[in-house]
Amino acid sequence: MKKTGGLSDTILALSKYVLILLSIALIVRCIRSMLSEHYEPEVWGYLRHGNDNFPLTHWENLIGRALNADVRLVDPGVSRVHAVLRRGSRGTWRVYDIFSKGGVWIGQAKAGPGGLAVADGDVINVGGQRLRFRAVTPEKWEKLESKRTSAGRRVSPAVTLLELTVFQLFLLLQHAMSAKAEDLKAIALAWVALIALEWLCYNAMRFLNRSGFEIETLAFYLTTLGMSVVASSVPGDMLKQLVLTIAAVLLFLLLGLWLRKLERAVAARFTVAVVSLLLMGLNILFSDAVLGARNWLNFAGFSFQPSELVKVGFIYVGASTLDKVFRRRDLYTFILFSAFCVVSLALIGDFGTALIFFITFLVISYLRSGSIATVLLAVAGAAMAGFLAVSVKPYIARRFATWGHVWEDVYGAGFQQTRAISAAAAGGLYGKGAGAGWLKGIFAANTDMVFALIWEEQGLIIGIIMVAAMLTLAFFAVRTARQGRSAFYSIAACAAMSMLLVQLSMNVFGSLDLLPFTGVTFPFVSKGGTSLLSSWMMMAFIKSADNRRDASFAVRAQLEDKDDGREDNPDDWR
Amino acid sequence: MRKITNRAFSVLLIAALVIAGMAVYVLRYIDHGQEWALYFSRANTGSTGHMVDRNGITLAYFSGANNLFSPDRETRIANYHVTGDYWGRTGTGLLSRFWKDTNDFSLLTGTTHSSDKLLQLTIDARLNNKIYEALGEDCDGCMLVCNYRTGELLGMVSVPSTDPIDGNAELREGTFINRCISASFTPGSIFKLITASAAIENLKNLDKRTWYCEDGVKIAGVEITCIADHYTQTFEQALANSCNVAFAQIAVELGQERMIRYVRDYGFLDGHSLDGIPTAAGSYPLEFVGDPETGWSGIGQSTDMVVPYSMLRFLCAVANGGTLIEPHLLLGETPEASVLVKPATADKLGQMMNYNAVSHYNAEEMFPGMTVCAKTGTAELGDGDSHSWFVGYLADEETPYAFVTLVERGGFGITRAGAVASEVMQWAVENLEP
Repeated sequence: MKKTGGLSDTILALSKYVLILLSIALIVRCIRSMLSEHYEPEVWGYLRHGNDNFPLTHWENLIGRALNADVRLVDPGVSRVHAVLRRGSRGTWRVYDIFSKGGVWIGQAKAGPGGLAVADGDVINVGGQRLRFRAVTPEKWEKLESKRTSAGRRVSPAVTLLELTVFQLFLLLQHAMSAKAEDLKAIALAWVALIALEWLCYNAMRFLNRSGFEIETLAFYLTTLGMSVVASSVPGDMLKQLVLTIAAVLLFLLLGLWLRKLERAVAARFTVAVVSLLLMGLNILFSDAVLGARNWLNFAGFSFQPSELVKVGFIYVGASTLDKVFRRRDLYTFILFSAFCVVSLALIGDFGTALIFFITFLVISYLRSGSIATVLLAVAGAAMAGFLAVSVKPYIARRFATWGHVWEDVYGAGFQQTRAISAAAAGGLYGKGAGAGWLKGIFAANTDMVFALIWEEQGLIIGIIMVAAMLTLAFFAVRTARQGRSAFYSIAACAAMSMLLVQLSMNVFGSLDLLPFTGVTFPFVSKGGTSLLSSWMMMAFIKSADNRRDASFAVRAQLEDKDDGREDNPDDWR
Repeated sequence: MRKITNRAFSVLLIAALVIAGMAVYVLRYIDHGQEWALYFSRANTGSTGHMVDRNGITLAYFSGANNLFSPDRETRIANYHVTGDYWGRTGTGLLSRFWKDTNDFSLLTGTTHSSDKLLQLTIDARLNNKIYEALGEDCDGCMLVCNYRTGELLGMVSVPSTDPIDGNAELREGTFINRCISASFTPGSIFKLITASAAIENLKNLDKRTWYCEDGVKIAGVEITCIADHYTQTFEQALANSCNVAFAQIAVELGQERMIRYVRDYGFLDGHSLDGIPTAAGSYPLEFVGDPETGWSGIGQSTDMVVPYSMLRFLCAVANGGTLIEPHLLLGETPEASVLVKPATADKLGQMMNYNAVSHYNAEEMFPGMTVCAKTGTAELGDGDSHSWFVGYLADEETPYAFVTLVERGGFGITRAGAVASEVMQWAVENLEP
C-alpha cells in the first residue's frame, strides 16, 4: 500500500460510503423497474368459445383440458394437451395438433404435423369444440400497445446509468490512490472507454426507440467490478480486459439482434449444436492442462476456454418452441447433446463446468418435459450423474475431502480458501478500498475467489449487491418468461439465469467453504475473457424474452414486422 | 405457454438456495469474523509495532507494509521459533499473536489498526543465540531455560531453524516445528524422576530399602536389562545410577494405575497454553499392559512420550518447592501459580537430583560454582539410536534457572545434551542479569 496523507485517507473513507450508497441506489432502481412495476401482457389475437373470449397473450398458445393450458376447454372431447396455436413473426397463424384424440379441424381440413394455416374469422374445431379466431389488426394492436406500460416509464434508465457512471468514477478515484503510477494510464483509459461504451449502448437503444436498459446496466455494473478486480490484481492486463469487454458487448448485441427473428433463431439450433460439439471436440483434442483440468485452448496469444462458449450453445440448443416441446424426437436430440457435453467436460477434467451443465440440463429438462418424458429424463440424468461420480479424479476427490475442513490444513489443502475467508472477513462491511487488499496476491484470487476479493476491497455490502444483481436478473427472467412470446425465449432466459446462478453459487460458496471448491468463475466479475463473453451473451437471451413495451432491442415491435410485407413461410418453423 | 412458465419456479428454487447460502455465511461471519480476519499476520492493516526481547533487542518490527526482523542473521535464526515469520509458516510463532494484539476488528469496519504497540518478551535473545550455537545447526534438538521463581521463559530454541526473511532457504524436515512445545519424544531415564516422585509418596521405608541389580531382572518372565550391574543400591543410589532394574521394579510395585495418575497430575498427558500458544500433549500407556510393560514404562521406554515443555513445567515446580509459576513469554505478566508437586516430595527429589549431579555427572567441572540438580536420559529408540536428554535446574537464589535439553539421536545423555546444558548454563550464570 502506498503511503497516503490525511486528505487522501479522508477521500478514501468517503469514497467507500459513496460507492455503497450508489450501489444500493442502482440496485433498488433496477429492482423497482424490473420486478415491482406492473407490465401488461401483449395481446396478439382472440379465441372466442361460446361466451368466453380468450385473449392470446403469446405467440404460442396451448389449447387443451390441462389446468395450465393457455386456452382451457373443459370438455371430455378435448385432450389435456390438444393443440398449439402459433403465430409467425410476420403475423400469420397456424394451428398444430399435438397429442389429441379428437383431432383439429378447420372446416374440412385436418391439421397434420405441419399444422394448418388459420385466418382471421376461421373457426377451429378442437375435439368438437368450436373456437373462432380473431386476429388483432395493426390498428387495434397499436391501440392496445399504447395502453401498456413501457419500460423505464417510472424509473428512468438514464438516471440509473448516471448513477453507475458516478460509481465508476469514484471507483477509479480509489484505484488512482492505490495503483502504481505506471499502471494508472491503462486503468484510466479502460475506465473512460467502459463509460463511453455503456453510454454508446444506451444511445443506440434510444435511437432504436427502446427504453429498457436495466439488464445492460446491471451487466455493466458487474463488468465494472470485474475491471476493478483486474486493476487490483493484474493491472498489466487492463487493456486486454477492455478489448474483451468491448468484444463481449458486441457479441451480446449481435446475438440479441439475431434472436429478434424467432424462425431464424430456431432454425439455427442445429448449426449451433454442431458448432458446440466441434468446439468440445477441439477442446478434447488440443487443450492444455491447467491445474488438472484441460479446458484451455491457446490461440494466437489468447488462451480461451471453449467450454465457456459451449455454455451459450447449450442454452440455445436446449430452448425450443412450444409445439416442439411436446415432440419426443426433439427431446432425445437434446439429451444426446447434453450427455456429450457433460461427458466431454468430465473427460477433460473440468468437473465444475460439467456440474454446471448437468444442473442446467436438469432445469431445462424440467422446463420442457411433459409427463411422458419424465422417466426417461430421470434415467438419462442418473446415468450422467453416475458417469460424473466415476470420472471424479483424485484431485477432485481431495477437494471434496477438504470441504468443510479448510481450517485444519491452512498451509496445505485449505490454502486458498482460508485466505479467501480471512481476507473477506478483514474487509468488513465497507472494505479496504480498491487495490488495498492482500488477497489479490494469492493464486486465483481474481477468478475462483473473486467474491472474497471484492468483499475485502469493497466490503460485504457491495459483495451482497453483486449477488443481488444476478438474483434480480434471475427473478426478472422468470417474471418476463410468463409473458414471453415464444417458449424458445422463455426457456432460454430461464435456463441462462439458472446456469449463471449455479455458476455463481459454486464460485461464491466454493471459495468460502460452504461447497466444495470447484474453481469456476463468477459471471462478469471473475477475470477471464471467455467467461466474460459468455456472461454477456447470456444476457441476450434475457433481452430477447423481455417484451415489455418498447423495452428491448432484441424484440421486434409489431409494426417492424409489417415492413417487408411478406408472408410467413411455413417451412421456416418445421 | 403457462405450462412451461409455471415450471420456471425451478429457477427461483436455485435463487432461494443462493439467498439461503448467503444468509448462512453471513451468520457464520458474525460468529467467526474476528477469528478469520486476524488469522494471517500478513493481513496487517498498517499497524506498526515492535517486538523486543527482555533487554530491548529487536526481534521483529511491524512497519505496516511488511514485517522486519533483527538485522543480525544469527539472532533471527536462533529466535525463529519464538517470533515466527511473515508467511506464518510456523504456527506457534508470536507474530500471529502480536498481529492480533495490534489490530482491532469489528464486523462493520473489518480489521483496523490500533496504535503502536511494544511487545516485550521474557526471552533473552543472546541466550537463544548461545543455545543455538551450543546445539549446533546440524543437530535436531531443542533447549528451554526458565526462571522458576518468576515463570519467565528465558530461552527457547528449536533446531533445525531458518532465517525468517529468507523464503527460499533450503529447509530440513521439521524446520517449522518448535520441538520445545510442539513435539513429544521418548523420555528414557529422565522419566525416572516421575517414577521416583510417585515412589517417595507411596512406598514405605523407602530410605531403608535396597534394590539388587545384576544381569537385569525378569518381570513375569520378561527380561528388563540395565546398562551395568549396580548390585545392592539404595533408592538415592538407584536414581543416580539410573538403574533400570530398580525403577522397573518400583513402577511395577506402584502399579500402572497409580503411575498413570502421577503422569496425568504432573501435566504430562495434556497440552498447555504458553501465552495462548497451544503446546502438545505427551503419552503414557493408558490401557492395561501388564507388569513387564509397566516396568518398561516406569523407566521412560514403552510408549512413553514427553513434550520438553511439560518436563520444564515439572522441573520448575520441583525447583520452586513444588509450586509451579506458570512459564510465560510476555514480560510483565502476572503468571498463575499452583502446587504441582507436594513440597516434601519436591525437596526430596531435589536432593536426589543434586546427589546425581555431584556423585555421577562431574558437576564441579560441568557446572562450576553452581548448585546443580539434574537427571540424564538416554532414550532408546529401538533402532540402535538414542535421544540424549539432560534436564535439571540450578538451586541457587541468584540464578534460579530450570532447563531441558534434548538432542535427538544424540547418544548418551551426559555426553551430548549434558555438554550443551553445561555450556549454556555456564554462559547464563555469567551473563544473565540476576
